[in-house]
Amino acid sequence: MTEKIKLYDDSKCTACRGCQLACKQWNALAASQTENRGTYQNPPSLNANTFLLIHYQDYVDKEGNVKWLFRKEACMHCTDAACVTVCPSGALHYNKATGTVGLDHDKCIGCKECVAACPFEIPRWDAATDKVYKCDMCESRIMNNMEPACVKACPTGALSWGPKEKMLKIAAKRVEKLGGNATTYGDKYVKGTHFMYVLKENPAIYADIHKDPSVPLSVTLWKGLLKPLSLLAAGGVLGGAFLHYMIHGPKYPDLPKDENTEGGK
Amino acid sequence: MQKGYVQVTDSYERILHWMLAISCLLLCVTGLGMMFQTFNFIGYLFGGLKSLKLVHNFTGLVFAASLILVIRMWWKEAGVFVFPEDLEWIKVAGGYLWHVDKVPETGKYNPGQKLFFLTVVGAGILMIITGLIMWFPTALPAGLVRWMYPLHALGFVAIFAFFFIHLYLGTIGNPGTVPAMLTGWMDRAVLKKQHPGWLKEMEHEGKLVVYGEEKKSGAHGHHA
Repeated sequence: MTEKIKLYDDSKCTACRGCQLACKQWNALAASQTENRGTYQNPPSLNANTFLLIHYQDYVDKEGNVKWLFRKEACMHCTDAACVTVCPSGALHYNKATGTVGLDHDKCIGCKECVAACPFEIPRWDAATDKVYKCDMCESRIMNNMEPACVKACPTGALSWGPKEKMLKIAAKRVEKLGGNATTYGDKYVKGTHFMYVLKENPAIYADIHKDPSVPLSVTLWKGLLKPLSLLAAGGVLGGAFLHYMIHGPKYPDLPKDENTEGGK
Repeated sequence: MQKGYVQVTDSYERILHWMLAISCLLLCVTGLGMMFQTFNFIGYLFGGLKSLKLVHNFTGLVFAASLILVIRMWWKEAGVFVFPEDLEWIKVAGGYLWHVDKVPETGKYNPGQKLFFLTVVGAGILMIITGLIMWFPTALPAGLVRWMYPLHALGFVAIFAFFFIHLYLGTIGNPGTVPAMLTGWMDRAVLKKQHPGWLKEMEHEGKLVVYGEEKKSGAHGHHA
């Protein structure tokens, strides 16, 4: 397996939304009617037919300067993906070639367990199909040696796709060059994400970004502890019952008193 | 039926017991099919995992209805510990673990049975509440919904383990007790060993229904 990473560099992003459109086009997703809510950000959040969203944010820093911050939100493709851990049917799975997280809609049963588990709040459930939707890193493209549709469409080089080691080095170099508060986001969480950012500002100031995301404790307790315990406890009871029957024996009714069993009394 | 057998349950009790038991087992089996990917093949029996999910959800409603009726029916007899006799029984573990010359007499249900009943009630209510939220998870914040899954798994750990305890103690562990939930009539000798206190009480109150004897009015039964 050659792990691959998609890198987003917000310092190069002009928020043209070419990626957002290319995503819709490649995945054949219907467009929703846009609405003027006082921002270019449309639709307001990810949904079952929007796997990728460019966030627009007016940020005023301490000196009173207004900065326009952009951020591309999509599935982060965790190495330790809570959604894959909880998925009952195997619909959510690791792509063995790249380490990204794929989603097989034929297998999805619409249980929405991934929706509650994801530390990045990515998967969206669609009532009409009773299935969950998210970015699968254009599995149909990357498995044929093409880059994801969003990367292909990006005109500024804000998006790039390549082997993990190489991309981590590029990201580190870019952070160094940008200086200031610039940093990477994603590589330090959930054993490393396969979609990561280079952010020119402190991640904390980006709207709706997840601070210090991790696999929820509830998921670890559920799948790591209670799931195996359920079979172990039942097996323990069966073993205990067997030993009880063999050693102590069942509780039989007492023999009738009129039988001569009490030493001739 | 043999002469001298004693009626211990009525048909209402037995039907509700099996409604609860069958729905509970179906929930365990279908739940296992979704909990472990290794058991995904159970889905084939129901026409796929998606149907399995639906069977699980709707069986949960049957379980919930049965549990409510069962609590109404058995709470007085099996839901409340009576002291000091129940404590005396617990002190010798009902004679199940080491030799006890005389097991303290208790009411119709001994503290072991009460503990099982209360576990089913407690874990059952937990399963119903967490299960309903898991059915409609988008109605509540994800941070809260997240905890429903481990709680549902915790309830399963308890119910699944207790099921096997119940299966053992209700069959080969206590020979002669199975008919209590099939025909409702039990051998008097078995009752004398298992539930002497209740037998005496019923005899004393003249409520005992004995096969082949004239049925007395005001016979005991469920208290629903």
